[in-house]
Amino acid sequence: MIEIVETGPFNTVQDLGRQGYRDIGVSASGAMDPLAVRIGNLLVGNDEGAAAIEVQTFPFGLRFDRRTIFAVTGADGAPALDGVELLSWCAYTAEAGQVLELRHPPSLARAYVSVGGGLDVPAVMGSRSTSLRGGFGGNAGRPLVKGDRIALGDSADIVAVPASGLAVVEPVVALRDVFPDFVDGTLPVRALPGGEHALFPDDGDAFWSQTWKISSRSDRTGYRLSGEPIKPTTSIEMRSHGVVPGVIQVPPGGEPIVQMSDANTAGGYPKIAGVIECDLWRLGQARIGSRIRFVRSTHAEARAVEQAVARYVEDVRNTSAMVKRALRAMA
Amino acid sequence: MSAIDFSDPSTIALLADALTAAGVSGLEISRPGGQLRIVVAAGEETRIDVSVTARPDSRGVSPVVVRAPMAGHFCPGHLSGSAVSDSLPRPVSGSEVLGFVRIGPVLLPLNAGRPAVLTKRLAEPDALVGFGDPLFEIEPQS
Repeated sequence: MIEIVETGPFNTVQDLGRQGYRDIGVSASGAMDPLAVRIGNLLVGNDEGAAAIEVQTFPFGLRFDRRTIFAVTGADGAPALDGVELLSWCAYTAEAGQVLELRHPPSLARAYVSVGGGLDVPAVMGSRSTSLRGGFGGNAGRPLVKGDRIALGDSADIVAVPASGLAVVEPVVALRDVFPDFVDGTLPVRALPGGEHALFPDDGDAFWSQTWKISSRSDRTGYRLSGEPIKPTTSIEMRSHGVVPGVIQVPPGGEPIVQMSDANTAGGYPKIAGVIECDLWRLGQARIGSRIRFVRSTHAEARAVEQAVARYVEDVRNTSAMVKRALRAMA
Repeated sequence: MSAIDFSDPSTIALLADALTAAGVSGLEISRPGGQLRIVVAAGEETRIDVSVTARPDSRGVSPVVVRAPMAGHFCPGHLSGSAVSDSLPRPVSGSEVLGFVRIGPVLLPLNAGRPAVLTKRLAEPDALVGFGDPLFEIEPQS
């Protein structure tokens, strides 16, 4: 069991999402940075899709009521256990009564707390993710509040983590060859032209060439972008059609909306582009007010990035398991 | 004949599986460039003893050597590029991360385990180190 001792609004239980129910109007939900959840879970010995806590408002604190292996991944900054600073992207063992604190990260948006055994909340339609709009899943379908107590699953990995921790080279470092760095403080986000791209003049140049700012009207459902409005050459009436996370729609006002993890299941605005799936975690870590620029990608590039991420995750899975076996053997 | 890369996790896993299958309890390989020690698990809790006390110096202070908990590449400081002071000696807390042993994407953090003065770094950055190789020398503070 863990107890939430401090939290801001909109911190929730999330896993990798509720796939397969979009056709009946159920959003997938799931972590805004799924790569951080996968790596955190592998570090603590879980299946990579176990439920974790997504922290997007800080400070946040929880108390362990039993010996528990845990890892904080995603955002930058150092978590603290009973006031002692720890590394992010590193598994540690907490003793009963110890308090984990997460302070406001220096530059990124969301931290994830993974615990050995995962968060033992009921699975709804195959997922433990919280659907805030639906009011189901996760911790009773609502954000965490102070005093909430969440049960943990069983963990067999606790003996394998040394006192100094077991860490990974974080994705932004390990995958720096496939994820381009910020350019003058602007995050490059790769996207493919969408279904209505041809409606926008000059091959969508106004969309691709300007720097957009993530507006304060952004949340887990979608990021509304601020910038010079873009308009299609002709206004069209479209029936609502299916949308998925990453789809970039252009409403009549001309400022794009990027659908995120709690994406609507359908929408009628023209789609100018779609963020490649492997760049969504970087967008999920971009804070309100940060600047982004869309970079035109290709299916081949998107596939290559996906394969590089898959290799990294597989390497973490295999090597962390091997290191844990070795550490047990040398005990 | 090409040399076997004993830093390759898949090679180590293969050797470990072969030892287990053969009922052999352990294997140690030493070469000029590194050392590999594989011991088949006995089911006990993980303990890493990375500190060995040396003889006291002329001031009566006993330096302690922080050693590699397993084979890998030595990384002083953090891979994310955060600045780590190279000026020695410097005081360190017990939990401060002095560096890492990197095995593929996995990092084993190294710390002094007690308040101390970090006096020497004993391995070169990215050097391949073996189990028990000396990495840092510290002087514990009371």
